[in-house]
Amino acid sequence: MDRDLRRRVEEYRRDEAGPLENNLIDELVAGELDRTEFLRRGAMFGVSASMLGAALAMTGEAGAAPFGQQSALEPVQSGGTIRLGLPSFGASLEPYLLNEGGSLAFAGIPGEYLTFTDVRGRILPSLASSWRPNADATVWTFQIRRGVKFHNGKTLTAQDVVASMRQYVSAKGSNAGLSPFFDAAGVSARGQYTVVFRLKSPIGVFPYLVSQTTYQAIIQPAAIAANPGTWVARGMIGTGPFKLTRYVAGRSAELVRHNTYWGGRPPLDGVRITYYQGTAPMVLALRAGQIDLVMQFSAQEAQTFKNNSRFKYYSIPTSAHRQFCMRTDQGPLRDPRVRRAVALCINRPQQIQRVMLGAAQVGNDNPFWRGFASTDQSTKQRTQNLQLARALLKAANAENLRFNITTWNFADHADHAASIQAYARQAGIDIGIEMMDVGKYYDSEPAGADYFTTTPWLNRTATLTEYGARGVPNIFLTRSYMSTGDWNASHYKNAEFDSLARTYLAASEVAAQKRATKRMAGLLLRDTPVITDYFIRYVTASSSKVRNYVPDGISQMKLAKVGLA
Amino acid sequence: MTRFLFKRLGLALITLVLLSMIVFTVSTILPGNVGRAVLGPFAAQESVDQLNEQLGTNRPVVEQYIDWAGGLLQGDLGVSLTKQVPASDLLRPALENSLKLALVAFLVCIPFSILGGVIAGLRYGSPTDKGITITGISLAAMPEFVTGILLILVFAIWLGWLPVTAQWDEGANVLTQLKYLLLPAFTLTLVLFGYIARITRAGMIEALDSDYARTAYLKGLPSSVVVRKHVLRNALLPTIAVIAVQVGYLVGGLIVVEVLFNYQGIGLLIYEAARQKDLPLLTVGVLVVGVVYLVVTLIADLLYAMLNPRIRFVTAE
Repeated sequence: MDRDLRRRVEEYRRDEAGPLENNLIDELVAGELDRTEFLRRGAMFGVSASMLGAALAMTGEAGAAPFGQQSALEPVQSGGTIRLGLPSFGASLEPYLLNEGGSLAFAGIPGEYLTFTDVRGRILPSLASSWRPNADATVWTFQIRRGVKFHNGKTLTAQDVVASMRQYVSAKGSNAGLSPFFDAAGVSARGQYTVVFRLKSPIGVFPYLVSQTTYQAIIQPAAIAANPGTWVARGMIGTGPFKLTRYVAGRSAELVRHNTYWGGRPPLDGVRITYYQGTAPMVLALRAGQIDLVMQFSAQEAQTFKNNSRFKYYSIPTSAHRQFCMRTDQGPLRDPRVRRAVALCINRPQQIQRVMLGAAQVGNDNPFWRGFASTDQSTKQRTQNLQLARALLKAANAENLRFNITTWNFADHADHAASIQAYARQAGIDIGIEMMDVGKYYDSEPAGADYFTTTPWLNRTATLTEYGARGVPNIFLTRSYMSTGDWNASHYKNAEFDSLARTYLAASEVAAQKRATKRMAGLLLRDTPVITDYFIRYVTASSSKVRNYVPDGISQMKLAKVGLA
Repeated sequence: MTRFLFKRLGLALITLVLLSMIVFTVSTILPGNVGRAVLGPFAAQESVDQLNEQLGTNRPVVEQYIDWAGGLLQGDLGVSLTKQVPASDLLRPALENSLKLALVAFLVCIPFSILGGVIAGLRYGSPTDKGITITGISLAAMPEFVTGILLILVFAIWLGWLPVTAQWDEGANVLTQLKYLLLPAFTLTLVLFGYIARITRAGMIEALDSDYARTAYLKGLPSSVVVRKHVLRNALLPTIAVIAVQVGYLVGGLIVVEVLFNYQGIGLLIYEAARQKDLPLLTVGVLVVGVVYLVVTLIADLLYAMLNPRIRFVTAE
């Protein structure tokens, strides 16, 4: 048996695997990767589940469940319509423009993506059945799943994927954020079922970037994708388990089962969506049994459903977080000792209980969530130390430190800012809170002025801004922390950090990524341009009759296996 | 009377023009811009600028206003900037919804409130009067959000008699729609009860204390006749004026109630348009509410004149 396994793995390494796959197995054999990380990385490089199992068994991890195998599903009745509550949205439903929870949750029901990032940060096949990088991770080749039908009966081919991806990097106003990685010429079809991405620079975690965490990247039929802005008018045709039958803007939508769904016949007959202007009515509607499942609640709103047998309460850790950015280039927070002092004031575990009612994980002032494979877990956690904070302030001659936190009236921002204010007061720091409306916070100031040099969220002394969950920290690094980042609200510029970030982005081996993130985490603790004091758990609730629903942490609602008791 | 009508209509027209100008002007002070509202806070500024250029929202506000007003004169209400559909397509169902809710609320609220005020006035100083007055003031002091949640908890969640949201299925008949509208209508009734009942009560007390009421009593008329024929007619004059003012609120100012009951009315539509700086939609929405308000005020004035001969004579002169 062992000899057979070894022979299979060796044959794979010789005949199929490239340098990245071979490095991965070497890291496993050398004990540098644990089982979970090996599976996660193996899936990202497109290694088959059977080969991953064989490699694990060969190295003594016998009995390991093959990657991607779902836990046993609860029995459900076939049929029925699930009633969803989604927050209403003001902006467009066109995939390339998606930017709100309610719209991305809706669009992601008829629409699907090349890959899927699950709640544990693993990358799973979806419309792409497998993928492989070249030796330096600059070319990624995706095999498109065969036999997938769009809602209009058309068969999915590589041309549809190419047309969709070209839209996302070319359409005016595209929010997809993929254009830094490849351009329209960089994505091409090779035959009916192979798509090749030629990247502008190496990206070791590219499959994550075409999963649902880039929620705009829905695969549309080529004829529709070629004309940006026509997806909704043409009926939101995708490959998902449910197809749209009726949509009344701002009010409701109805979808019915896609009978030829590639993932097997969905148990539900259909989905009925009701849009709500606020979350309070959603809480009441779920309590009264008018809806079965809600996209997302705040920790406070979800309390009513916790420990209640009539409801199911979902709470999963995610990489979503808040960035308390402090200007490093000017003003009272310019000195890194002062910024460190502010960070040292916060009692993080206590704050999580008070502000988030426990629905968060402690952060260490970096974007490296502990669920990311690339996060080095050995970095020492920053804890409250008021004595040291006072000493740092004294050394920096900033004992009468005063500044404002600028933020907007969103979710926990007000409580969070007030919490930081209260903690800082213990060290003699006087913090004011400037609370804005979303329009003001994210607009140029005054209206019409140069955006990047005037908008409050990128230019105030200290700002508190929300960041959604991602499967990898790439976007946080490239846009918020690197000196070239367009969302770098702290104006942090550190050549060493930039270099480490580039190393991380290009690295395919998890060990190399960990080395880079560890050093970046160290620099961020020293310079503290941003305080990330917690990572938020994704919280929601459903009626107890909903079966097999697993939130994905970014508001996408996977309903293919969901049923009603 | 015709002259009076024309004069009022002329004033209404001027009011509406001024209203539209004020909305356009005030909107320029509001933060935010349409391009960013559509594309989201993290969209590239270049994309936001392109969209604003495409929509024409980067032009001076006067130019935008003239453009919009020109269209309006030709019967074109404009196109919603954020949703890119004719404003009339959004306004029609919202106005229809608002009018339905206003009507139900009106039918529930007005008789109750007037009855409460009349009883309190007739039993001035009694425990009944004090009970009605204190209840009314307490209810009026409670925010509609709180009142609404209390009603939802009792009637929708605990008793399960009425639906939580005021959103019925497409094609629902009038009775079903009425069932969905009852909770928001009750909420509004509780909010307005105290105000209308107090005004009615004050009018009743004043009328009951008047010379003509005393004369009627001294003439030996039965109390019910005095109240019905002499007191009520005069006591309700200020109530009519107050109700007319409240109709504007019932049609266009129910944002909180609309949010709580997830009702797609015109108040919410205007609020969203203001938040996203969708000027054509915002202005037309405000104008529609303005028209409703002006029409109702006009009706109230006519009613007032019918009930009060002195007003008739003054207007006739």
